[in-house]
Amino acid sequence: MNQISRRVPLVDGVAKVTGALRFTADLHVEGLLHCALVFSPHPHARVACIDAASALAVEGVHAVFWHENTPARFYNSSIWFAGQEALADERMFAPIVRHVGDRVAAVVADTEEIARLAAKLIAVEYVDLPAIFDQEAALLHAGLAMQEDGTPTFMNPVAYESFVRGDTEAGFAAAELVVETHVTTPRSHHCAVETHACIAKPEPDGRIGILSPCQSVFAVQAVVVQALGVPQEQIRVTKTPIGGSFGGKAEPILEPLCAFFALTLERPVMIRYDRDETFTATRTRSSVTGRMRIGISIDGRILARDTETLVDIGAYCTGGNYLPISMLQRLVRLYDVPAERYRGRAVYTNTVPAGAFRGYGSPQIHTIAEITLDIAARRLGIDPVAMRLRYLVGPNAIEPWQGLDVGNARGRECLIGGADAFGWHVRRLGDAGQGRWRRGVGLASATHINGCCPGFHEETTATLRLLPDGRAELVCALHDLGCGADTTLAQIAGETLGLSACDIAIVPADTDSCPYDLGTRASRMTYICGEAIRRAGVALSEVIRAAAVRELNTEAAGMRLEAGAVRRPDGSGLALSELAARLVARGAELPSATEIYRAQANPGSYAAHFAEVEVDRLTGRVRVTDYLAAHDIGRAINPMLVEGQIHGGIQIGIGYALYEDVAIDPVTGRMRGDSFSRYTLANASEMPPMRVVLIEEGGTDRPVRRKSRRRDSDHSGCGGSGQRRQSCAERRTDRPAAFAGTHPCLRGLR
Amino acid sequence: MRMSLKVNGQAIETEISPISRLSGFLRDVLGLTGVKEGCCEGECGACTVLLDSQPVNSCLILAFQAAGREITTIEGPCRSDINDLQRAFLEMGAVQCGYCTPGMLLAAEGLLRANPNPGEAEIRHALAGNICRCTGFETIVQAVAIEAAARQGAGR
Repeated sequence: MNQISRRVPLVDGVAKVTGALRFTADLHVEGLLHCALVFSPHPHARVACIDAASALAVEGVHAVFWHENTPARFYNSSIWFAGQEALADERMFAPIVRHVGDRVAAVVADTEEIARLAAKLIAVEYVDLPAIFDQEAALLHAGLAMQEDGTPTFMNPVAYESFVRGDTEAGFAAAELVVETHVTTPRSHHCAVETHACIAKPEPDGRIGILSPCQSVFAVQAVVVQALGVPQEQIRVTKTPIGGSFGGKAEPILEPLCAFFALTLERPVMIRYDRDETFTATRTRSSVTGRMRIGISIDGRILARDTETLVDIGAYCTGGNYLPISMLQRLVRLYDVPAERYRGRAVYTNTVPAGAFRGYGSPQIHTIAEITLDIAARRLGIDPVAMRLRYLVGPNAIEPWQGLDVGNARGRECLIGGADAFGWHVRRLGDAGQGRWRRGVGLASATHINGCCPGFHEETTATLRLLPDGRAELVCALHDLGCGADTTLAQIAGETLGLSACDIAIVPADTDSCPYDLGTRASRMTYICGEAIRRAGVALSEVIRAAAVRELNTEAAGMRLEAGAVRRPDGSGLALSELAARLVARGAELPSATEIYRAQANPGSYAAHFAEVEVDRLTGRVRVTDYLAAHDIGRAINPMLVEGQIHGGIQIGIGYALYEDVAIDPVTGRMRGDSFSRYTLANASEMPPMRVVLIEEGGTDRPVRRKSRRRDSDHSGCGGSGQRRQSCAERRTDRPAAFAGTHPCLRGLR
Repeated sequence: MRMSLKVNGQAIETEISPISRLSGFLRDVLGLTGVKEGCCEGECGACTVLLDSQPVNSCLILAFQAAGREITTIEGPCRSDINDLQRAFLEMGAVQCGYCTPGMLLAAEGLLRANPNPGEAEIRHALAGNICRCTGFETIVQAVAIEAAARQGAGR
């Protein structure tokens, strides 16, 4: 019904523009108790004594919780399913705190005001332990003390991954030019405008119901079960609307506590972090220090590349041990380099834990690699577009690490089409200006994955059933994070059933009513869930057609679903609502279909971003004045939402390149950027005009032929801006304090 | 203390605490949860409401300061149908997660009342105090420009 490639507004849009949509903190729950936490001001310390008497004496306080009266069970907040192997090193409240902002105690009271007041009355005595904030120093550190006796449980590094392809030594030996960079990427924060919040409530049957703005209800369930040691069936999780996540709400942080308090007090409890707590006590993007060398022949060919990465995962493992390998996966999917060596390590430090954040490793590794490549292009006097075109992988390339086919990779088309639309070739040679402000242009390429194949249980189950009113219900554990996934997937379902997207009723993700799914992560929704839904839709349309043929006592040939009806070739037919009504009246089952889709591939999505910047030579201030992003996205189910994703990614990318960093103080371990007044992100005035070019070549392994459309936008954004800071990067690549363009006229700025 | 004010066109007389923020009063006492809280320090703009016709961060205003004034929240404009500004936001893709949307709409409405014919830079400046982490502001600015042009055309 022509639902595909249409700019359909959000199916839940009216509720959003009228304020009728209730986010977690907006929900009214009878008898709800509120919670306030006490956080450690010390980066590493033993909690010697907690005196909660004054807090408990406050009227309206129900309980105070800390390590002595909460489960001493270790868990890992990044697990996706029960039994997943992961370093379990986190506790609800630890006797030894491991970062500034680590949880020490919690007060549950009648109101948030009382809870926060009482929390201030809790007296905590700390005994300081040595703390480490620097990832290089952490390599020499024997690990953080986990046990009371100070025995380190884990040794740094937490993870060590390596990969070799070809003979890098020979490559470097034959190289005429070796470019070497040392880049440290910033630790950026998600900054979803909704802060972290969660509600847990006891159910009459002894279960705990959790209302969570999460990325996977099953992940929340698994983590809570691990933390509380209760049977899985005792925990029911329902997804609430989410006011932005970007990975920040992928890991359940509040849910284990909230569930335990509700279970213990037999009352519903809400925990809501304020902005400062969301900055200091949740997750950030990991900071990565990368050393990259590329060896280049006299005729400008790359002979070898050697990459070493060191990931600061912060105080708890969470999923940080996957980062070195994730970065390798993205690194080798972009360019075909004849000899490659990669070593990646992850280390603990006494800083806020790192977690998932849009792109998960891609922004870090592409920043490092694109800066290095651009420096090489400049040294060789080659156009950076031409340099990249030589090495970008093409359609159906086999990446060397896992040996996977990257699918219909169109990174080259992104670069060529983007460069043309941006006017790269003219602007690169244009006038940089003479005064204090100089102008230049820069670009970067990037790639990202589509789903978790082959690493995890990458499959999903979708059920579509006809409703009595002629609409269709979709059950598929969907977690729309605000990017419009529900709308996109409803368009796919609608397309197969002759309905419009708003005729698809989507059941919110719920552990009781939905089949297992990995959740919204790894850019898998449209590609994986979309295919399961398409298959279920095709199957349901067959069942509906058969039912209509019986009802109408007609020929099956030529019957089609169109505009909410089953039609004969001559246009006559039966409305779906009428068909449903007849079936219901006869007591017959309403048509439904369930399909399971298991991923067969993990194609890459590719992008190239172009930016023009103005640099103040006096202060180092950089203004992005024009921006163009070209994305290889398979097929845009909803071009408006695809562009919206890319626009949002550009904002995060520009911030990553220019100003965003929570900036952990290297002496005290405190976060400097712990509020919107101290953590700068690009606002409406700072954002440049943006253009988006979509390369819709499609894939070959799926009929609707879509790929992920969201994540590579921010890696390129950061790379795109990031490698414009190369002139300073050559000297000092750790901070984007000031940078000049790749414009040859700007070379005087170095 | 007692105060009277108008909220979304309705006269209200109420008892309030002198230290209550306007955002807290609107959300907790009146149940107008379309007023969002994102930082409680005037940096994110999610709690933007119209005080008379001026957009303000309701977290930075004490409730009693609204005495005798008229407050408009996102619950105000829509009685039965969405208005044209809301429609422009939806059709341009200016809404994603929706958390900043009520504040953004009211900041835009305040701009259009004060300046019926804003240029792009003026729109961006007027929305500079409202953080959106989803859209990069591009389509929001477009939606406001479209609505401004429509109001100009309609002579509103």
